[in-house]
Amino acid sequence: MKNRALLLTATVIGGLSLVYSTGPGALAQVPEHDAPPGPGAGSDGAGGRPPSYFAGPSPSAPQAPGVNAANIPDGPPAEPSEATEAVAQQGSAPAHDDWPAYGRDNDATRSSPLDQITPENVGKLQRAFVYHTGSKPGPGQANKWAAETTPIKVGDGLYTCSALDDIIKLDPATGKEVWRHDAGVKYASIPYTAACKGVVYYTSSTVPEGEPCHNRILESTLDMRLIEVDAADGKLCEGFGYHGQVNLMKGMGESVPGFVSMTSPPPVVNGAIITNQEVLDGQRRWAPSGVIRGYDAETGRFLWAWDVNRPDEHGEPKEGEHYSRGTPNSWATMTGDNEQGLVYVPTGNSAADYYSAMRTDKENAVSSSIVAIDVKTGSPRWVFQTAHKDVWDYDIGSQPTMIDFPGPNGAVPALIVPTKRGQTFVLDRRDGKPILPVEERPAPTNTDVPGDPRSPTQPWSVAMPRLGFPDLKESDMWGMSPIDQLYCRLKYRRAKYDGEFTAPQIDKPWIEYPGYNGGSDWGSMAYDAKSGILIANWNNTPMYDQLVTRPVADKLGLMPIDDPHFDPKGGGAEGNGAMADTPYGIVVTPFWDQYTSMMCNKPPYGAITAIDMKTQKVLWQHPFGSARANGPWGLPTYLPLTIGTPNNGGPVITAGGVVFVGATTDNLIHAFDAKTGKELWSDVLPGGGQATPMTYEYKGKQYVAIMAGGHHFMQTPVSDALVVYALPDAH
Amino acid sequence: MATFHKPTSGTEWATLVLAVVVVLLGLPLLIMGAELVALGGSWYYVLFGAAIIAGGVLMLLGRTLGAFVYLAAWLVTWPWAFWEAGLDGWALLPRLFGPTLVAIAVALTIPVLQRIERSTVTRGGVA
Repeated sequence: MKNRALLLTATVIGGLSLVYSTGPGALAQVPEHDAPPGPGAGSDGAGGRPPSYFAGPSPSAPQAPGVNAANIPDGPPAEPSEATEAVAQQGSAPAHDDWPAYGRDNDATRSSPLDQITPENVGKLQRAFVYHTGSKPGPGQANKWAAETTPIKVGDGLYTCSALDDIIKLDPATGKEVWRHDAGVKYASIPYTAACKGVVYYTSSTVPEGEPCHNRILESTLDMRLIEVDAADGKLCEGFGYHGQVNLMKGMGESVPGFVSMTSPPPVVNGAIITNQEVLDGQRRWAPSGVIRGYDAETGRFLWAWDVNRPDEHGEPKEGEHYSRGTPNSWATMTGDNEQGLVYVPTGNSAADYYSAMRTDKENAVSSSIVAIDVKTGSPRWVFQTAHKDVWDYDIGSQPTMIDFPGPNGAVPALIVPTKRGQTFVLDRRDGKPILPVEERPAPTNTDVPGDPRSPTQPWSVAMPRLGFPDLKESDMWGMSPIDQLYCRLKYRRAKYDGEFTAPQIDKPWIEYPGYNGGSDWGSMAYDAKSGILIANWNNTPMYDQLVTRPVADKLGLMPIDDPHFDPKGGGAEGNGAMADTPYGIVVTPFWDQYTSMMCNKPPYGAITAIDMKTQKVLWQHPFGSARANGPWGLPTYLPLTIGTPNNGGPVITAGGVVFVGATTDNLIHAFDAKTGKELWSDVLPGGGQATPMTYEYKGKQYVAIMAGGHHFMQTPVSDALVVYALPDAH
Repeated sequence: MATFHKPTSGTEWATLVLAVVVVLLGLPLLIMGAELVALGGSWYYVLFGAAIIAGGVLMLLGRTLGAFVYLAAWLVTWPWAFWEAGLDGWALLPRLFGPTLVAIAVALTIPVLQRIERSTVTRGGVA
């Protein structure tokens, strides 16, 4: 509480009385932090405590016991090896009725051939069942929950995970629990968010059908483990790793629980499980590594590592060494390509997101990029960068989607890459070259940060419709009345703003637009190959950032998570950050009126777009999400007006011609006509629908499922309910 | 010389309260609006703020003119709002909604202010 008081004191602006509203459900999707210090205030003052109070341990310190959650004996460092020969997986050619992978199939199309539910009958959908995972904040625990889960369905099982990684098999018709594997993830291991986006269905190449662990459910956990259980009974697969588990903290060096975590399902590509990990943003320059690793899906054996600053060493680090620290981390869901033998890794930027002077050239070459890694060797085959020398947290959150792009000489294997910038890149999967033109355009370079120049140009995907709006103008500022609108106009004028890619600033705030929520975030896109329709829902939420010198950061109480004095309830993840080991800390808030919790820019704050990929023209686009659960001071207005809210969670497109998507902060699941964009149906969920829905057929009936887990960051109600819909039985 | 009118009825009290509210709404517009101009932004807010403060003070003095000053500022706001925001309903909301609510209230005070003016004139008048 002491830190909170310090933070509060530091934010009194311009003599206006401080109103610190704490209401839920605001129009912004970021927890309420204090505003940037304002013009002239980024570099004055000194902390009341010695600087050592705010410093983490040495990055070379050994890993403390307990960071290896399962206490798995590590054994000697492993040399690179090759994966066990693989058999065809369910995700390569999904059965008509199934949804066997996070993105439905290996291509991550989020497109289902099911057509029972149509624009004509979707209005009749009813709840078939609601399943409660049991995972939500307990007494005394901070709300860090956002399950973000998309179940998978194979044969007679609906497989899902709880926000704390328990693996669950449900009866697809009734929601009855068939088995549950308790993953034993502790509260302390929750990083920024307790999320489990999904599990992976893996069919063994060595265990014959009918024997235990022929079909397995693979999961990566918040506390950095890989787990494989038998799909039939949920028991650990003894032949995988150490009694069914692999410790992914091996070789990571100094860390604390919650610093490094896994929230996305790891793809299996030609027998290799590929792992990435989320490293908490904004903590320190020498955060644990963003290393990408391969493990044998059959045995859990280490295959290779791709470690940015040790590019020629594919084995595990020697005793007493660790993977190179502070390298770009990847937290999005990766896409595996069996034909090309590649995994497409969406990367973020190096640790200490808003300061780039300490990054290596090797890091600068692969940050905020798609890195296509050869799954046999762990070496990159190609790299495509979506933001050069990123200091805006424009890491790629979306899972790229593989499509056959119609070219003059036949179909080209292509990769659709959504970005937080709202620029959607279309690349050739074989070499990473853009299929649709990409222009390098001049970008702002004006900055007062010494020794940290910006890239003079940035890439623009000029042939794809932009999922965003032109640069902000003062007259785009909004409010309920002229007074709060004027306040936002002042905030706009007090800040530095040179358009997209405005460079960081110390002596005053700068406006980051698009904001770090996107554009496109982790929800990703849906693509129906038959109609050529690409569906994308996206955000329009600028951010208000300011670098602060180390004494100011100390005064604000910003410290890294591995600092012994770190208070997990004091914030400091994602938003404001210590960026320890650098000269600056970062203060980030939504670009909003902090007295009313309303965004400063005019609506919409979210939209949904359908693009015809044959012509790259917008078929339809409209604001997405209503004002019913949103309003000033976080109060619900109950107005059914489509204002367009921030949204997180992807869309699903079906052969029946219906798009299902939750995502918005109005806590609704929506159904749209894929051809016209008309909203056909919606239902109020028991919590925020910040997850990608999925659809499956079982015993002749089509179901639509969505995890209504809510999202702490979007300030939507948290629940543990998986809600499943179906049409009423015909009589 | 001008003196503040002492209210003698419920409607006069309401008029007085409204006049105070108009002045209070005008103050942040004037102060922040001046800073906005200094930073190179729109002149609308400082001018609107100054105008409605003047209107509010005149209403406090029991002058019907005060109401008309507010209403004139409000009328000028309309073309400005459409000029700046076009036909975007959401963008027009902050520019027009609140000022219009106040304008309705101010319009309702006109008969009250006229009555006050008449009474002060019959009692010898205010310069």
